[in-house]
Amino acid sequence: MAGPKGDERAWVRGAQAGSASDFEALFRAHWPNAYRTAYLVVHDAAAAEDIAQEAFFAAVRNLDRFDRRRPFGPWLHRIVVNRAIDWSRRRALRGEVELHESGVEQAPPDVGSDTVTRMRELSPEHRAVIVMRHLLGYTPGEIARLLGLPRGTVNSRLRRGLDQLKERV
Amino acid sequence: MRLDLDVPIPEGAQERAHRVAMAAFASYHPAPRRRAYWRPALAIAVVAAIAGVLASPPGRSVIQSIREAVGVKKAQRELFSLPAAGRLLVGSVRGPWVVGQNGSKRLLGAYREASWSPFGRFVVALRGDELVTMEPNGRVHWTLARPALELPAWGGRHADTRIAYLTRRKLRVVAGDGTGDAMRCAGGVAPVLPAWQPGSLSVLAVSAPNGRVQVYNVRDCRLILRTAPGAVPARLAWSSDGRLLLAVAPSALRVYDLRGRVVARDDPSDGTLDGDAAFLPGTHRVAVVRVHGAQSDVSILGSGETLFHVAGTLRQVVPSPDGRWLLLTWPAADQWVFVGTSGAHAIRAVSDIAGQFGGGSFPTVSGWIGK
Repeated sequence: MAGPKGDERAWVRGAQAGSASDFEALFRAHWPNAYRTAYLVVHDAAAAEDIAQEAFFAAVRNLDRFDRRRPFGPWLHRIVVNRAIDWSRRRALRGEVELHESGVEQAPPDVGSDTVTRMRELSPEHRAVIVMRHLLGYTPGEIARLLGLPRGTVNSRLRRGLDQLKERV
Repeated sequence: MRLDLDVPIPEGAQERAHRVAMAAFASYHPAPRRRAYWRPALAIAVVAAIAGVLASPPGRSVIQSIREAVGVKKAQRELFSLPAAGRLLVGSVRGPWVVGQNGSKRLLGAYREASWSPFGRFVVALRGDELVTMEPNGRVHWTLARPALELPAWGGRHADTRIAYLTRRKLRVVAGDGTGDAMRCAGGVAPVLPAWQPGSLSVLAVSAPNGRVQVYNVRDCRLILRTAPGAVPARLAWSSDGRLLLAVAPSALRVYDLRGRVVARDDPSDGTLDGDAAFLPGTHRVAVVRVHGAQSDVSILGSGETLFHVAGTLRQVVPSPDGRWLLLTWPAADQWVFVGTSGAHAIRAVSDIAGQFGGGSFPTVSGWIGK
């Protein structure tokens, strides 16, 4: 019986061959965490939707070139995290007041746990490694490879980020 | 340390993303992995079969049915129904009308430049120096007064939307509930309806006065795409998956990808002009109206497939939401002509269009949106 990784490889193979149901399976398996990851870095629901969506656009664009022997999730997560960091940096540089996100029928925002709220105080780079470690479950070595950072940098960002979170409890 | 990083997902967000992702995937074509030697032989056989059919009397009659469509003599005098699901928004001298699939028509009032919200739940229009949002039954939601208003365009998602508009030829953006109105990004823009990337709250295409097409992320004013200067397009439109952008000017039609590369083009010559063009929903196929002298052709760009030919000047091409029909507007004949895109060459025509929309000049179709 194929496990989740076996399923995922089969989905990637099927999607590359044009199977909409296999691509949909990849989407269902990965979109929720793509959204959560983006949200935890940018703390903006609309931007998180955009970022998760752009990551799947990138997936479709690059599907033919994707090495099916490699897992899909880390590749997608790397796109999401890098775009989310870029978005947060640009917003910080602008210091701009965003357009109101409230729309015609938008429900009041629910930001989740206290930890999620406290993470706003961290830099996007610190948020990113914490999310990759504690939401997505990557090891520091894997995070370093995915983000192209020295492992020591990942470890120090994790340590400092977690310390800052503790201080704010 | 164990962290609780649970983030609730907004209601409907995954389904919105799912629709967009699946639409994007629908245009994905797997790269051929090995050469299939039987395919050329099959293609030759198919071409030969089609040639045989067209050479036969019934085949010739199909071609004739297109060529003899001049004037569309069997046009209905009234618009009894639309051939596909959805509603039309039609601009007339009396104001915008909402036309139901069953042919019902409702005049919204003395507004101009009306357009649909992304899912057809609302309409935005202008009245004097006011931008007005309303329901399709005419009930006004909110208004915003600004000088020299032009060209409102509504984009976004089910739960969150944005309206872009021009005031004194400057771009402004306001949220769908009327809050957060602000000048955005482009300094001066041409009077061309801005085009929101489907499903996005931030990606917007505008035209500069020198004809450059500029795509901005209006959230941070990052310029995503800028084309070379050229003819100012008459229309900007995105494919439904948001991957391609169409810019149509009479002398040049371009389809750009998100890196600004031209992926399809039409440069009519010898007195031919591109009158209008539109993506067929859910596809990357572009229906284009070419006008040469006193004749017009409607075809699918790059396919060599002519869907309709008339001795007259067609003005607009508006695809149905399911992409199976094109609404062609023909002011000189005072007709709308609905042409099927499926290859069956189905044609339905309705005459006395100006009269049905309050008289005066021939009306303009602002959009055909799904239910």
